[in-house]
Amino acid sequence: MMILLLVLPLAGALLMLLWPRIAPLLALFSAAACSLIALQLLLQVSEQGTGYWLLAGWPSGLAIAWQADTLSCLLILLTAVLQLLVGFYAFAIRTRDKLSQGFWPLSSLLQLSLTALWLSRDLFNLYVCLELLALVAVALVSLSGRKAIKPALNYLLLSLFGSLCYLLGVVLLYGAYGRLDIAGLASEWQPNLLTNSALLLMSLGLMLKAALWPLHGWLPAAHAAAPAPVSALLSALVVKGPLFILCLLWLQLASSQQAQAMAPLFAGAGLAALLFGGWSALRTPFAKNLVAYSTVAQLGYATVALGLMLKFDQPLIFAALWLFVLAHALAKAACFLAIGEMSGTLGGKRLTTLKGASQTMPLAMFAFAVAGGSLIGLPPSGGFLAKWALLQGLWSQDQQLFWPLALVLATLLSAAYVFRVVVLAFDRADPVAPDFSPQVLPQWLALLPALAVWAMALFSEPLLLLLRLEAL
Amino acid sequence: MSPFWLSYLPLAIILSSLLPGLIIFTLKEHQVKLRIALNLLGVTVKLVLVLIMWQAVKAGAIFYFRVPFLPGADLILQGDALSLLFVVLSSVLWLATTIYAIGYLENSPLRSRFFGYFSLCVSATVGLALSGNLVSFLLFYELLTLATFPLVVHRGTPEALAAGRRYLAYTLSGGLLLLTGVALLHSLVQSPQFIPGGYVSAVVREHSGLLQLAFGLMIAGLGVKAALLPLHGWLPQAMVAPAPVSALLHAVAVVKAGAFGIIRLVYDVFGVDSMQQLQLAEPLMLLAATTILYGSWRALAQQDIKKRLAYSTISQVSYITVGVAMLGPLAAVGGLVHLVHQGVMKITLFFCAGNYAETLGVHKIRELNGAGRRMPLTSAAFTLGALGMIGIPPTAGFISKWYLGLGAVATDNSMMLLVFVFSGLLNAAYFLPIVYRLWFLPQRSSWPKEQRLSATLETHWMLLLPMLFTALLIILMGLFASTGVSPLSWTQLIVEREFSYD
Amino acid sequence: MRPLMAELSSSLNVFLATAAALVAIGVYGFIVGPEPLRRIVALNIISAGIFKLMVVLAYRGSGNGDAEWLADPVLHALVLTGLVVAVSATAFALALLARLGQSMTAGQEDPGQ
Repeated sequence: MMILLLVLPLAGALLMLLWPRIAPLLALFSAAACSLIALQLLLQVSEQGTGYWLLAGWPSGLAIAWQADTLSCLLILLTAVLQLLVGFYAFAIRTRDKLSQGFWPLSSLLQLSLTALWLSRDLFNLYVCLELLALVAVALVSLSGRKAIKPALNYLLLSLFGSLCYLLGVVLLYGAYGRLDIAGLASEWQPNLLTNSALLLMSLGLMLKAALWPLHGWLPAAHAAAPAPVSALLSALVVKGPLFILCLLWLQLASSQQAQAMAPLFAGAGLAALLFGGWSALRTPFAKNLVAYSTVAQLGYATVALGLMLKFDQPLIFAALWLFVLAHALAKAACFLAIGEMSGTLGGKRLTTLKGASQTMPLAMFAFAVAGGSLIGLPPSGGFLAKWALLQGLWSQDQQLFWPLALVLATLLSAAYVFRVVVLAFDRADPVAPDFSPQVLPQWLALLPALAVWAMALFSEPLLLLLRLEAL
Repeated sequence: MSPFWLSYLPLAIILSSLLPGLIIFTLKEHQVKLRIALNLLGVTVKLVLVLIMWQAVKAGAIFYFRVPFLPGADLILQGDALSLLFVVLSSVLWLATTIYAIGYLENSPLRSRFFGYFSLCVSATVGLALSGNLVSFLLFYELLTLATFPLVVHRGTPEALAAGRRYLAYTLSGGLLLLTGVALLHSLVQSPQFIPGGYVSAVVREHSGLLQLAFGLMIAGLGVKAALLPLHGWLPQAMVAPAPVSALLHAVAVVKAGAFGIIRLVYDVFGVDSMQQLQLAEPLMLLAATTILYGSWRALAQQDIKKRLAYSTISQVSYITVGVAMLGPLAAVGGLVHLVHQGVMKITLFFCAGNYAETLGVHKIRELNGAGRRMPLTSAAFTLGALGMIGIPPTAGFISKWYLGLGAVATDNSMMLLVFVFSGLLNAAYFLPIVYRLWFLPQRSSWPKEQRLSATLETHWMLLLPMLFTALLIILMGLFASTGVSPLSWTQLIVEREFSYD
Repeated sequence: MRPLMAELSSSLNVFLATAAALVAIGVYGFIVGPEPLRRIVALNIISAGIFKLMVVLAYRGSGNGDAEWLADPVLHALVLTGLVVAVSATAFALALLARLGQSMTAGQEDPGQ
């Protein structure tokens, strides 16, 4: 069944190239089928426990290792569902935005590479997935035409550099241990100079690709230049791939001394990302850049959580980390779709075009506000859940006061930039008139993930349970 | 009535305003009749449901409705005597304000949005009243912030937007402090249901410092909405909102949400014994007393009617906090009953201010000279409200101040008695001149922007009726305080239950 | 099965050093050069260095002197995969660069040198 998750998008992408006229249909179909399969896989795994596969029957250590645990299944489900949603959105606006035909096969390939990434537990295979992911992502960015090529090229070069750093680390590890599967490596792991440098190299590459502070410079330009559905996919999913590998490396491979040594660095970088990203989002005059900077800031939460997880080794913090990722994926997809819809209809990239949007496009604005509520962490949203888990995890450890305070400050910043947009939308002085009458369907599609992220709170108990078990 | 049906009663009370609100959002601007019908339907259903619950709670029942939410903290709706006090207050005043708002906003744009958020706001308030543990309370507290923001900026003018930003800055920070406090407390003792006597006593000895910190954080968070002293800045500015909104904001929803939260926190989370052990009551009482005097003092200097009323609110809401913080049964009766009385009196005053502004175009106090002859009913209602605020018998305000005074004596806080007396004098000093202008000074010149809203009455009947209704309530609540249906007897019931837990 | 680094004979150090030098040159070029083409070339130099390192690591001495003339096949497979990825990435980067060159209007720097 797991094979289908990989085969369907791949076959779909090939068919789409051969038969471009029905490409949207194929893409939607394969995404819908994958969503269902992913859901079933999640149920199966949560019932029967983690599934392992070794490719082609080779012995362990030689074969490529795959593993479907609850976290991977959740992420696969998220990927497929978002793909489906964004596909619908792209289909709904196809007459207006003239997305090129390339979007459909590329988005299928994106799904393929992400699914493979969530599943594989082999360092080199992860490298291949990463590279494929980066190439597809860059191609998607470059779809929006001439203006996007420069940021796309920049993104590609940095991403390749990041991949090579990662590859070098992988090679060093293979040289030392002669195997690439993570479980096997972890059992033979020794903290020494070589593994230190390999870990650092790989982390450097991954941080560059995940746009973690201070290596986030490429992200705002690239995400803002891409077409709205693509930005949604990029912010929601693509940056999470390297983050996932980073977590695998530090939580499963690194020894406790190495983790302890790295913890303050991650936590500090995350805090800096929160502050810097939030501040930039507050200053930028462009709507999409605001959302892109908010991605930088929100990734900061995940990085802080990773750092604290390394420090305290507390399952709740791990759950918080992935709750942040899930909540952010849904919320950010909603934000980008809503902003894309509004700037498409109102005609302009600047924030000031959103003036009076609460009158002209109430649904899209509502979607942005609702998603923003989760970014801030207002109850009962997914973002709140994550923050709550993080605080509880921190306090169950010992009496921490610095980190809660820092989180409070960061939350205020995110509230400031979200409401910067919302307040503008309520400006009734001279609302910007839409270029044409707003479409309703795309606005609803933007609202869906925003509602989903608030609905996450209803499933908080099973979610927390699943993710906490994963950390043990 | 089957028990199955009854367990959904708290949810139904919230939904009775939430659902009409959501439907109203989808209505077109010109569907006026349908919108009014929906609004009134929601109000009626809510009042009937509240009545059913009131009957049952009086007989000693408590309603629970729970949904799993966070681990160790379900989403609980709880209908007990205390929550019902606030629910009844907000439902009745919602009825009055809805009628007032229909009249006030006649022919103004974006009414669907306004009434939609208005209903959401009431739903959040009622949810807050019904919430059965701190996490549910936090949830509705934040929802209330979000629902009131569009109402504050409803006019969409630069001043309204500036006020909205300020309102958000204050309330979101407050919400965040509350969240931190609640999370901290949760990590110590989880978040069980509110229970008379509190649930922290088991860890008082072990974690007294952390408990004090959590209490401080939560009071700071609640204090923003209750407009406690350093955190009151948003309230006078939020006066740019339309009159029904300021009425609802200042009499019922927002400030009372903060005060109600403080009541819950003191009695049902920490409990009287732990409060005494942790020595938390004294600082809270002093802070509230300072706010009482400060608010009254600043109100003296205001020349804008609504601004003066806003500062008066800052002062009056702190009476509730003082009453609660004195930790005696009599003082608690005074504080709790003031929650209702102040709500009714303040909403009357705001209705009056709205009527002056809408009918005569009057916003400043000095323009009010002689308005008593032009608008006798409104001015009579204003006078009643003002007398109530000062605490002159037989109005409702007298009852609450009497009990607060008794409570101060009973708990040996003679200093508070002084504060009450002094603040009463200040109240008189800023309300009586207005009353004097209304009735005894001649009209100076023509009214700034007079409108004839009705052929026979002094203004539109929809603006008049709710105001007269609440003004009547002020008198009735005072005259019939000793009967079984008065707020006073209900608060005595609450206090009996709160103080007899062991 | 386990080619430990310690077992590599000292004569391989030369190869290791060149691989390291290639990587270093590439990194230097990547960081210093502002022009996209230069960076693409730099990236290729880095990958050449890494592949060389992989090939060197594939050498398997047997700890006691008798050289087994069998190289590690896994690393070779990896190098091949890596080469495919690197070539396609380079091709894609060059294609993008060409598009950028086309879309550049006069007056701006010519990125294609």
